[in-house]
Amino acid sequence: MATESGHWRSTDSALVEKAREGDDSAFHELVDRYASFLLTLAVSLSGNAADAEDLVQEAFSGAFRGLAAFEGRASVKTWLTRILMRQAARHLRITRKRRATFLPLEAAADAGAGDASGHAAADTRLDVMAAIRSLSPEHQEVIVLRELQGLSYEEMAQVLEVPRGTVESRLFRARRAMQELLKAYLG
Amino acid sequence: MTECKQSQAVSAYYDGELPEPSRAALEEHLSGCPLCAAELARLEKMSQLIRARDRVEMPREVLDRLHRSVDLQPKIAVLHVAEVFAAVAASILLVSTVWLWRISTARDAAGQIPLWETAAVASQDPSGVAAHEQLAQWIVQDLSRKNGHD
Repeated sequence: MATESGHWRSTDSALVEKAREGDDSAFHELVDRYASFLLTLAVSLSGNAADAEDLVQEAFSGAFRGLAAFEGRASVKTWLTRILMRQAARHLRITRKRRATFLPLEAAADAGAGDASGHAAADTRLDVMAAIRSLSPEHQEVIVLRELQGLSYEEMAQVLEVPRGTVESRLFRARRAMQELLKAYLG
Repeated sequence: MTECKQSQAVSAYYDGELPEPSRAALEEHLSGCPLCAAELARLEKMSQLIRARDRVEMPREVLDRLHRSVDLQPKIAVLHVAEVFAAVAASILLVSTVWLWRISTARDAAGQIPLWETAAVASQDPSGVAAHEQLAQWIVQDLSRKNGHD
């Protein structure tokens, strides 16, 4: 089936190549393929839809400008994710300085008489989001990339530009921190 | 929290990232270690909590905005090139101005013949004592001026 931009099941690499040659519709197809993936990632990192949409737009703009520099050693998905993570890291450094709100997770869980099932699903999601955003930026990145985006250790290493072993140890420590924050739910 | 030294390996095992033969060894360890078995259960539960979040779909109007921003990119690229050219032109102008000013200053300095040189060339009577004294005085004055003693 042809896509809206007319690129019938072209590979990501082929789309990048066409976009490099000046075919804007090829880049539109990449936008359509990865916009929701990147938005989910951006919402998890920024915590709100407006900032997340801006981050995604900046990421695609940066990708378009950097088309010539894309070497194809990593997948297009990894390349786009890396660009977004950089934008998000810069955004987080700014917002963390002015953010003072933190959802008291244990208090929220206690309100349900210690029973997480007593909470509305929406409340649980809010608590989980608050827990993710209260992590250090490094821990936040690995939790989101692994748990929400399902990236492999190798892909995460490419996105974060760190050795695979660092990804493994960082993810382990991030999970420890998350378990502590969500202990009311984990029992 | 009490933990087994294999905890990090449990995390990698849970992600399917533990290569053989470590994988087989950990599976054997898990059957005899309640701490690691509990760790594995917690990882599973935590993932369920995190992944229970709704997948965010990009709204159509935002997607359209993204497409429009891509369409504007070539123009932005042209503007960037123009900016680079303007910066290079400004740099060349600045360097040229400084260079011309230095040439002009050097010419002025070269064109200003010291008084003693003029006098020495013009002197018709090198044996005259008064003329020699006057010449020496001019040389001293000229050197003092050059050394900034004026």
